[in-house]
Formats: sequence, C-alpha cells, structure tokens
Amino acid sequence: MLFSSIPFLYYFLPCFLILYFAAPRKLKNAVMLLGSLVFYAWGEPKYVFLMAASILAGYIFGLLIEKYRGTRAAKILLVVSVAFNLVLLGYFKYADFFIDTVNSVFRLEIPLLKVALPIGISFYTFQILSYSVDVYRGDTKAQRNIVDLAAYVASFPQLIAGPIVRYTDIEVQLASRRHSFEKTAEGVRRFVIGLAKKILIANALGELCDVFRAGDERSVMFYWLYAVAFSLHIYFDFSGYSDMAIGLGKILGFEFLENFNYPYISSSVTEFWRRWHISLGSWFRDYVYIPLGGNRVSKPRWFLNIFIVWMLTGFWHGAAWNFVVWGLWFAFFLIMEKLWLGKLLEKTKITKHVYVLVTVVISFVIFNAADMSEAIAYIGGMFGAGGIRFVDSGFVYNLRSYGLTILAACVFATPLVKNAVKKLRSGKTGARIVGVAEPVVLGALVILMTAFLVDGSFNPFLYFRF
Amino acid sequence: MKKKHMDIALVVLLGALILALSVWCWVKPAGEYSDSERRVLAGFPKLSAETVLNGKFMTEFEKYTLDQFPLRDSFRTLKAVSMFGVFGRLDNNDIYIEDGYVSKLESPLNEAMVENAAQKFAGIYDKYLAGTEVNAYVSIIPDKNYFLAEQNGYPSLDYARLEQMTVGALDGKMEYIDIFPLLEIGDYYRTDTHWKQESIRDVADALANAMGADTLSEYRVKELENPFYGVYCGQSALPLDPDAIFYLTNSVIDGCTVTNYDTGMPVLSEMYDMEAAFGRDPYEMFVCGSSAFVVIENPAAESDRELVIFRDSFGSSIAPYFCEGYSKITLVDIRYMPSEMVGKFIDFDSQDVLFLYSTLVLNNSSMLK
Repeated sequence: MLFSSIPFLYYFLPCFLILYFAAPRKLKNAVMLLGSLVFYAWGEPKYVFLMAASILAGYIFGLLIEKYRGTRAAKILLVVSVAFNLVLLGYFKYADFFIDTVNSVFRLEIPLLKVALPIGISFYTFQILSYSVDVYRGDTKAQRNIVDLAAYVASFPQLIAGPIVRYTDIEVQLASRRHSFEKTAEGVRRFVIGLAKKILIANALGELCDVFRAGDERSVMFYWLYAVAFSLHIYFDFSGYSDMAIGLGKILGFEFLENFNYPYISSSVTEFWRRWHISLGSWFRDYVYIPLGGNRVSKPRWFLNIFIVWMLTGFWHGAAWNFVVWGLWFAFFLIMEKLWLGKLLEKTKITKHVYVLVTVVISFVIFNAADMSEAIAYIGGMFGAGGIRFVDSGFVYNLRSYGLTILAACVFATPLVKNAVKKLRSGKTGARIVGVAEPVVLGALVILMTAFLVDGSFNPFLYFRF
Repeated sequence: MKKKHMDIALVVLLGALILALSVWCWVKPAGEYSDSERRVLAGFPKLSAETVLNGKFMTEFEKYTLDQFPLRDSFRTLKAVSMFGVFGRLDNNDIYIEDGYVSKLESPLNEAMVENAAQKFAGIYDKYLAGTEVNAYVSIIPDKNYFLAEQNGYPSLDYARLEQMTVGALDGKMEYIDIFPLLEIGDYYRTDTHWKQESIRDVADALANAMGADTLSEYRVKELENPFYGVYCGQSALPLDPDAIFYLTNSVIDGCTVTNYDTGMPVLSEMYDMEAAFGRDPYEMFVCGSSAFVVIENPAAESDRELVIFRDSFGSSIAPYFCEGYSKITLVDIRYMPSEMVGKFIDFDSQDVLFLYSTLVLNNSSMLK
C-alpha cells in the first residue's frame, strides 16, 4: 500500500490510528504489528510469510547469539544469521543478475528464475542484520518479546522504503514511548509535508521524465532537463517518503533518525553522502566500512575499503551493472576528494556546488538508465554526442510547462523556506501568524493532494524496488 | 495562542478532515456511471481468498476508492484548476485550452500506426475494390491540434508526413481529396473532438465535387435544445461553457430511411436520433452515432448512385450532406466490425467508395479491425 494513495489515507490510516490509540499501552505494539502486516500484505500477500520467516529467524538467532555471546558459537551463529538473510536477499533480488552475468561471460543459457522482488526486502533485511550484529557486539540486548521485535522490523511507516531504523535507536521506545499532542502535531506536519513533496512535486517531475523517455526527439537541453528533473524527482520522492515515515513514527510515539538533510546544498560529494539517505550511509559505515578497517589502515587499503563499500551501496540499490557503476562513480569522487580535490574545492565558493550538482545529476542518469548502454547514450546526449540539436520543441514545451514545478523543487531542495518559517516563528507576531496559518495551509494541502490522488493514476515510490 | 493550543488545533483540524472524508468514503453509496467522463465507475471488487492472494482485490479496490470518492468531480476540477492556475502547467492529463478551444495533445506521429492504417485501407481496396468499377477516394480530416498545437507551442503531429505516408502507401489506388485547407478551428466544437455539421459545407462540397456528385441544395439549420458538453468537458474536469449542436434538415433528409445493422439485424432509425441528442453524448445523434454499419436510403434520389464511406465518428455528421446526390449511402466503421466481414454486407461493383478518417484514428490505428 502506498502512503500517497486513497486506500491508505482514507481507509487504512484512520482505522489503524483509532485502534492504535484505543488500545492499552501494553497492546500498542501488537496493534502496530497487526496493522503493519495488513499494510504489507496489501501489496505483497504472499511475501508476508517470507518477512515473517525472516523476523522469526532474526528473533531466534538474536536469543542464541546473546546466550553464547563471547564464545565461538556466537560468532558461528552470527555468521549463519547473516548468511541466512543474505541468501534470502540474494535469491530474491540478485539471483537473476548473477545468472545473467554467468550466461553472458560463459555464453551459457541457464534459465532465469524470474522471481518477483518482495517489496522492502532490502530495508527489513538490513534492519534484521544490524539487530543481529548489535546483539553479537553487545550493543543491545536480544529482544525476548517476539511481538516487539516483529513490530520493530515490520513497522509500516518505515517498512517498505526506509529509513533503515536501527534497533538500538528505538529499543527504549519500543518498550515505552510517549504520545502527546505536541509530538502528534509534529508528526502530522511532517507527514503532510512529505506527502506534498511526493504528490505535488515528485510525481510531476516523474511525469516529465516519462515524457522524455517516451519521446524519440531529444536535444542536448532536453537531456539536461531530464537529468535535472530526475535528480529532483528522486530526491522529492525518497525524502518525501522519509518525511512521511518519520511523521507517522512521531504520531505513533517513535523518533526515527533523519534520512535527508538538504543534500543538494552540499559543497562536496563527501558532504552529499552525509546528507543523502543518511540511514543507508551510516549502516554501511558501521557494519561494513569500519569493520573493514575504515580509514585507520594504509592508504591503498583505505581506498579499497571505500571502493568495496560503494560498490555494495550501488549493488544494494539494484541488481544491475548501472547501479554498481553508480556506486563506483561516487567512490571515484570520494577518493579524489580525499587525495587532492577536496582541498582544491575548499578554496572555491560556487565551483564546488556546481561540481557536486553536475556529479550528482550525471550519477542519477546512470542510476535511472535501463542498462549501461542507455546510461552512456544519455550522458553522451547531454554533451551533444551524435550531433543532436541543442534545443528542440519538446524541451521548450516541457520547460514552459514544468518550469514552475522545477523552480519550486529547486527552492524546496534548499533550507530557504524552512529557515524563513523558523525566523518567522522566532518573533511573537510571526509565531501567531504561523500558528494560525499552519493548520489552514496544511488542511488546504491535504484537500489539494486528495484532488491529485482522485484524478491521478498509480504512482509507485521509486525506492519500493530496492 | 500558546504552542500547545496551536498543536491541538492542528491535530484536531487535520484529524477531523481526514476522518470526515474517511467516514464519507465508507458510507457513501457507490455510483454506477460518471456522466462527465462517460464511463462506468468501478464497483466494490469481489472478495475471496483467491482475489486477495493474487492481489486482484487490492488492485480493484484501489480503482473502486478512486472512482467512488466523495465529490469526485469537484476534486478533479480542483486538480485541473490548480494545475493550470497554480502550477503553471500548459496541459492537464494532456488536455489544453487555447483560443477558447479545448483539445488533447496528440504527439508524436506514430508512423507504424499510420502505416498500419494505410495498409488496412490498401488491403480493403485489394480485397473488394480491385477489378471492379468502383471509384475509390481517400481523405484525411485534421484534428483540432492541427490548428492549435504547433502555432501555440504545444507538441504536434507532423501532419505533412502523416498525409504523405497515407497517400504514399495507397500507391495511387485511390484519389486523394485534400480538405486540410478548407477547415479552420471555428469548424470544430470548442469542447469536443468533432467538427460542426453546419460548418463543413465546403468540405462536403469538395468531397462531392471530387466524386462528381451533389450535396444538399438547400436546407435549414436547427439548433438542438440541449447544451452540448463535449467529451473534453469531462476529461478536462474544468468548468467550461457548453457548445450548441446545430443540425441540417430539409425534406430530402426527412424522407431518407436510416437502417442500423449494428446487431446484424436491420433496425430502422432516424437521420438524427433525438433520444441520443438528449443522452450522455449528444454528438451520437448524427446517423446512429458509433455504429458499425448503417445504410441511408433516399427514395427520392434522382440517380441510383451509391456511396460507401469507410469512416470514423466524423463521418456521421457529414454523411447527411451526401444524401441528395446518392440513392444509398453505406457507412462502415471498421473500428466496430472486422474489415473481413464487409464483403458479406456489400457487393462492390460501381459505387463511389470514400475512406474518410481523422488524423486521430490514423495515428492510433490499432483500433481498426
């Protein structure tokens, strides 16, 4: 089920919230689990059993790892637990990629499995993995209540598209959390803003990308328009979803960590990745990069670590070579910044931002390509390869039609509006104005977004495929 | 106001809004038909273990919730108005308004579809007309975008290429009658796809002249006493003023018999179906509307010439112009009947045969059977 859908907003959510708040404190996690299972089963009726099996395995391994913590048995159990989860992920997400690669390299014809990718498997698998590792390291106690553990893994706000919530971050909240009007209001604000980012901006930019991809007449400028539109689209789509997840979490009494922090204002690729998909970046940092030795190793080994982490980051996003190249694209710039580029960029004011934006925009062309040959063709198109025209009527029309949305997206991708509202709130009169205007504006947004949903077609979130 | 009070106000207001709409969704009786969109609305899906497990229930339920949402048409209007007025979009669901005319973007040219249409016509010619004394003609009706799109910066078909491809593929089998220069945007309804019957006299004359026939010598133009909200009214969801339908009448038209063979059996009808005129799509009033096979017979005709028109819906409103020059006019719509069946109903010998299709159908010719 999509957050940005009528069934979620007007059927599931009201029913769930009534049940949740009516339930006694002790039963809230059970209600959350039940709601999450319904939510997941709505989109993946069969794979709900796969998720249940993963949770059950995580629960049992957690208890066993804790029981034998400090012994060789705990290590073996951790390895088995990690292998179990990775095998599931590998089978459902990567099997066909490997078969296809083997077929290409060895000129074989091994049939593809064509297994449907279970929604959210990359997210909940990483949550279970981090839980097992944290229990092994002694960073947390194993959860004895399977309902609580299942409620954590399957929690519908973050189940299918993140952020990747660590067990250690919400362990205390699972046992006891505070509900208040203040927190609920924060959650409502965040949810509505996330919904608006998705419905009013991301979907419109997604349409523009679809128009570009469906057409056959493309100019240099149209390629750039597409690349910029997709970069904004994926940001508003994914950060909008994260906002909704964080907002729903707040309504339910949880505090999920931030997942985005205005990444497009970054002045280096290193900074960009501190601001983009923060939960994934920190996950790889804590569970892959640091265990590999991080930067406390020789320079070649350090760069190898970066290479491995970014290859895996790319691979996490999808079972295709363009995702691997996408990850390595960033590895290249991260290493360059660590070698010499970073110091050079520090001396500039505007160039460093242009550098980040161009690097990121090109990366997302690779990311969104059907395959590497398309990625190369698109990037070539951006630089006039093949002698294509500089401007065409399709570019002009779509720039005119989507110009305002792109402009709004550019403004909202920076903290300008947030800071302006914050400044306004800091004064007495301003706070009153915001206090009165906010419910009206958010209510109007809900009505407007409902109109878009009623008239619109199915618009899945991009990150569902991961 | 304290922050706490503001927070409470926010939660209560938005909670009440969502809850009120939610309750309305649950209790609102399901509608069956959308007049504005001219389509059947999705009903509550079948609930069973099978439909739940294969996901069909969920997919259908989503459609049901969208179709049955309270104040659906008002919400669609709100979206359309905000798309143009707030977001500065030039079209909403491909619908745009220019010079007071509503149209739907049709771009790019689908050469495979145009080729398919031309081959379909050529195939009909080869199968039924070749070796007979039939005189075959082809003509293309430009859609509204021809007059509105490119001039105003909207994506447009390459009409010259479409014309060239169609005529070229027919390889001289039929005489091409160019009516593009005879039409202008004022000849079309503002809110509908079609041309206006009362405005296409010159087109009818050009077609008839090319075929060596006459059109109506004199007629009266009557106004239908029912506002015509064209197909784009519903699709655009914008509050548009209706068009007016005018139709031609004279003693010849009144004296014609119209027989509809849509069901395979002959059903007597009228040149102008007044029930349809006051129905969901008043344009359907013209010569049985969307029907596969219709025959107009003029018992008072001075000649025994016959005309067969392979046509789309544009053909319905122009056909009455020809009823004075022909004793029998057969309208064939191969969107609704396979072209292989045409021979069972018509013996081609010496008729005039006109292929009259709009660019919209040519560019989406998979609908031709």
